[in-house]
Amino acid sequence: MNAPKPASPPVLELEDIARQRAGRPAVHALSLRLEAGQILGLLGVNGAGKSTTLAMIAGALRPDRGAIRVQGRDFLEYPELARQAIGWLPESAPLWPELTVREHLDAHGRLRGLSGVPLKDACDAVLERLELKELARRLAGVLSQGQRQRLGLACALLHRPPLLVLDEPANALDPVQVVALRQLLREQAAAGTAVILSTHQLTEVTAVCDRVAILHEGTLRHDAPLPADQHAALEKTFFDIAAAGRTHAA
Amino acid sequence: MTLFAVTRLELRRLFVRPLGWVIAALSLAELGWRFALLLQIFLLNQVRLAALPDGPGYTDLVAVRMDSSFITGSPLPFGVIELALLLVPLLTMSTLAGERAAGTLPLLFASGLSASRILLGKYLAVLMWLALWLLLALAVPVSLAHGVMLDWGKLAAATLGTFLALAALAAIGVACSAFASHPAVAAVAALMIGLALYCINLGAQLAGIDSGFINWLAMSTHQETLLRGLVSSADVVWFVLAVAVALALGTHRLAADRERN
Repeated sequence: MNAPKPASPPVLELEDIARQRAGRPAVHALSLRLEAGQILGLLGVNGAGKSTTLAMIAGALRPDRGAIRVQGRDFLEYPELARQAIGWLPESAPLWPELTVREHLDAHGRLRGLSGVPLKDACDAVLERLELKELARRLAGVLSQGQRQRLGLACALLHRPPLLVLDEPANALDPVQVVALRQLLREQAAAGTAVILSTHQLTEVTAVCDRVAILHEGTLRHDAPLPADQHAALEKTFFDIAAAGRTHAA
Repeated sequence: MTLFAVTRLELRRLFVRPLGWVIAALSLAELGWRFALLLQIFLLNQVRLAALPDGPGYTDLVAVRMDSSFITGSPLPFGVIELALLLVPLLTMSTLAGERAAGTLPLLFASGLSASRILLGKYLAVLMWLALWLLLALAVPVSLAHGVMLDWGKLAAATLGTFLALAALAAIGVACSAFASHPAVAAVAALMIGLALYCINLGAQLAGIDSGFINWLAMSTHQETLLRGLVSSADVVWFVLAVAVALALGTHRLAADRERN
């Protein structure tokens, strides 16, 4: 009889992570698992701890407590995992205004360990996929907000990471680009990439996510699969949690 | 290596921003003016100097004096060092404070780089820019090498001294940029610390004191020896220590960004 094949570790595993910001707990006792091919929608009101959580997952912030494992390896012990395994689009897509679109991709690729022909091919591929080819020689400082957002997304996708961490990726995109973004995320998930998508838009979550987590005051209040056509139910859950938080604060 | 990816990125940013070109163009024009004046003084005194046994030549009076006015005491336009005291802070101010203000610093952290590698990568870029600038500044006096007797050993020692001073000022500038939240604050802090470190022994020298800790602490003490053509390991070690301390402090502050922001 064949021995059962050992299950592959989840792409991301957060274990009891916590982080203080400006003297108050921004994230508290957060545990979460994300498998390959899943798209997790991370919801929460302003100040709920979404961006702090994503920054910790991306390696830009260190948790005060807890463990982050990427593909089964401790992220804090091997910070270089961030280089290959994670593509991060921070909120409002910060860029170097004096560099062109192409130079951005080149710099991001080199920071992720790419060089030579693979780097060139990767740049060409994301320029094509995100319809940035025409803008390749334009300075980032003169891009519109939507174009900046697409460039930020291209930088996150460049090295084909198994985990995509996207903070408000639909910000400033027009409706056509929003639909294109959804399509892109579905493609990524179909190829086995795990995606975390933080947003304020419930419609974004119901349109692409197969699971939803709701953060409130730094703690995880809801984490469940999201079946199709469950927008109304999600809306009710979200507002119940937000209202309960307000009542508690009052 | 990703360390060099940071260096490459920073060099690219230095070369595409107008500030770097303006600094290079204006400072090299000013140094050209200084050279013309030094050469004029040398030619006026050439006959008198030729009569002196072991009198100073072109190397002492023109080539080495391109580096600093501190040893000439003459009211000439700024030399390389005086210019560097003012310009290096402008060059380094955005290295980390600019990234912090623009929100791009987390992108570097998220690429898995340690604070020391980010800082070192940025420092190397600034150092390469300054080395190129120094080479261009020296090209002017060296261009007359075929027509004058140039003391290459003395010039090499003076160039080493100037390069080490640039390296120390760059390290101070990058460290100040790591501490500051805004580039302008970093520039002012680096200017003040650089000036203080250079002239801290001025009072002691006016009082006729030529030894002691205060003189050891001053950058000018160690640079002067090298400008006179004497390469002493104690002086070289002082510069290495200054660079190491500045970079260590900068790294410590940068690492705290990831911990506490």
